[in-house]
Amino acid sequence: MPTPHRTSSPVAWLSGALACALVAPAQAQSAPPTVEELARRLQAIEQRLGTAPAATATADNAAGLSDLDQRLRVIERKLELQSEEAATRAASTPTVSLSASKGLSVKSPPPGDIEVKFKGLVQGDGRFYFDDDQYPQNDTFLMRRIEPTIEGTWGSLIGFRVTAQLAGDSATTSDVYLDLKFDPRATVRIGKTKAPVGLERLQSSGSTAQVELGLPGELAPGRDIGVQLQGELAKSTVSYALGVYNGAVDGRDGSTTNPDNDFEVAARVFVEPWKNDGNALAGLGFGIAGSTGDKEGVGSNFLPRYRSSGQVQFFNYRAAVAADGENTRWSPQAYYYRNAFGLLGEYINSSQDIRLPATGARETIDNSAWQLSAGYVLTGEDAGYKGVTRPNHPFTVGSAGWGAWELVARYGELDIDDDAFPVFADPAVAARNAKAWGVGVNWYLNSNFKLVANYTQTNFEGGAPAGADREDEKAFFTRAQFSF
Amino acid sequence: MTRTPRSTLLRSLALGFALALAGGTAAAKDVELLNVSYDPTREFYAEVNQSFAAQWKQQTGETLKIRASHGGSGKQARSVIDGLEADVVTLALAADIDAIATNGKLLPANWQTRLPHNSAPYTSTIVFLVRKGNPKQIRDWSDLVKPGVAVITPNPKTSGGARWNYLAAWAWASQEYRDGGKVVDFLTRLFKNVPVLDTGARGATTTFVERGIGDVLLAWENEALLTLSEADTRDKFEVVIPSLSIKAEPPVAWVDKNIDRHGTRKQAEAYLRYLYTPEGQRLAAKHGYRPAEPDKVPAAELARFPQVKQVTIDGAFGGWKKAQAEHFADGGFFDKIYQPK
Repeated sequence: MPTPHRTSSPVAWLSGALACALVAPAQAQSAPPTVEELARRLQAIEQRLGTAPAATATADNAAGLSDLDQRLRVIERKLELQSEEAATRAASTPTVSLSASKGLSVKSPPPGDIEVKFKGLVQGDGRFYFDDDQYPQNDTFLMRRIEPTIEGTWGSLIGFRVTAQLAGDSATTSDVYLDLKFDPRATVRIGKTKAPVGLERLQSSGSTAQVELGLPGELAPGRDIGVQLQGELAKSTVSYALGVYNGAVDGRDGSTTNPDNDFEVAARVFVEPWKNDGNALAGLGFGIAGSTGDKEGVGSNFLPRYRSSGQVQFFNYRAAVAADGENTRWSPQAYYYRNAFGLLGEYINSSQDIRLPATGARETIDNSAWQLSAGYVLTGEDAGYKGVTRPNHPFTVGSAGWGAWELVARYGELDIDDDAFPVFADPAVAARNAKAWGVGVNWYLNSNFKLVANYTQTNFEGGAPAGADREDEKAFFTRAQFSF
Repeated sequence: MTRTPRSTLLRSLALGFALALAGGTAAAKDVELLNVSYDPTREFYAEVNQSFAAQWKQQTGETLKIRASHGGSGKQARSVIDGLEADVVTLALAADIDAIATNGKLLPANWQTRLPHNSAPYTSTIVFLVRKGNPKQIRDWSDLVKPGVAVITPNPKTSGGARWNYLAAWAWASQEYRDGGKVVDFLTRLFKNVPVLDTGARGATTTFVERGIGDVLLAWENEALLTLSEADTRDKFEVVIPSLSIKAEPPVAWVDKNIDRHGTRKQAEAYLRYLYTPEGQRLAAKHGYRPAEPDKVPAAELARFPQVKQVTIDGAFGGWKKAQAEHFADGGFFDKIYQPK
């Protein structure tokens, strides 16, 4: 057996190997370690790894070089096996990840084409009205949305999303659909989803510039149940959707069944020609959408009631009026986002054949609305259709980050067809026209938390007894929003 | 208004279905077999696959592609039960195929009666591979429990070969001590001398031969012969035949449910029957397996297999089902003998 202090080749090799394995502070040593020192350090590692040799080595034979060599090899091999085992386990173990931006997700082992994500959106509002003498409103705190979402993909073909709506008196659902993803150019969506008509209505609820939608949102259909073909073409510069639905009334979600036995067809084409060019027009998108279908029946499942920006109803048809035929909408729409600036505009026209059964009077009523909404992010982040997604300097207590601040302003009008009055709508309670403006500030504290404050004022034409105008609506809305 | 989109949709779906069907039919022209095997058969089946595919092409004109998957026998069986679509399994022991029959319901319980010699076209035995010159003087099982002797064997929970190793040791100890407690004590001391427990036989060979760990490898005879046949290693090791070993019978079977699903029954059965032909038996001998029908192999090919006194699984342990339940099932003797560090 070599003497412990010999600096023979095996000793040097072993010293080096152990030094690497142990991450030893070699620089701190002025002389090479003795075999006994190496044995002690190896023993310490074996104890840490739980790989102490089975054969109880005496102090004497523990110092033998061949014994140390074997023990080191055993450790190396065990680490090798552990590494192989970890790789095998990783190859068959789902990945669970949780992040602020993507929420909670579980992904299958490679190829990882099964993924389930859990997301959430919570909006708590404070709503206050001023000078509401004629039509007093309740100042209130309310939970506007509580939406847990489970979405994901099940293989390369199937996608799905289920969003519950827990705000309100009873639980219901928002989105519930299944996607059959044949190709990025052609996905079939089956279930309950947003009908592809209104530009602002198609925005995610957490991304809209102001607390509530502008007036055109009152003429666009909400969510509806049906089958939709959608996709992206020409390097994603063109997106389209075409579907058949049960049919939703203006500004509302469709009912859970199809009470009038008539369907509605809706389609939308939206183009962003310079999306991939990175020039000043890259953020310009424009398109046209429309829907058509018959509606027949009396009541709110068939005829609309329009609300102001403050969510107060200002127009409805007389109770005896029935939808009696074609309901057609069309909507040119566009947005433009350039750095911190954003502009969104849309027009929508909704015509509906109606009838007053008592008199047999019939009419086609053309209602229309438009809006322009602009925003500017004071802190320099990019504005976008999805809002400010990531503040440059998230707000943190006691440090310099203040999140992102955005100023928004909106003007819009909603005009009721003159032919609606007085036969089909009561001019003493239903306004002929609404003009609304609003300003607001959005404070994105971070990617997940947003505070919103809006002031909106709506002026009405008509809608009060004796041909007078309904009093102006002045509403101050606030919102705290958490999403992931 | 509502009829047009509905009928268009139906037409699209019909067209898509027809295209998918056409694509599926086109893809079905390639005939492929998957042989899920255990660790040390890599080289053997690589040659068998090539030889059989050539013969099959000559006989039928059909191009056959045979893929092979190797690993610890127990793990491989688990993979088949869990959905790995093996057309045939060629595993280290009958218990693993029994598990596929019992737990996976993929083949009948009497699978072992469908081919000659209990569906074992070749056998092997367990020998010791030691370093050249046998520095620790290992001659028999009793030498494996001496202090300072490092024994390399894989984990019987995952490796069929390891189970044969374990049972061979048990058989020797039973004969030597004739006392259950002493047998268990012997096995306990033996596994205390195992510094690295690999999951499969090939991994254990790597540990011993390539990583230089341990003094003796408990090995399949074919694995030991393979080591001695390679230029890099033949001068560094030697084989020690213990006084008693076990006749290891690695069985083969086609997996009925999978071959019926794949439409490969004809090919799978022919593939396994090929192992019993003179060429199949010759290849087995070439790769260190003892042919089940040695009369089909030239005598010169058999000279490399020394006489070994062997017990059988049926004779010494009452068959695989009993051995599996008593020794390797959770809570069995092996769990009592070996405590992971």
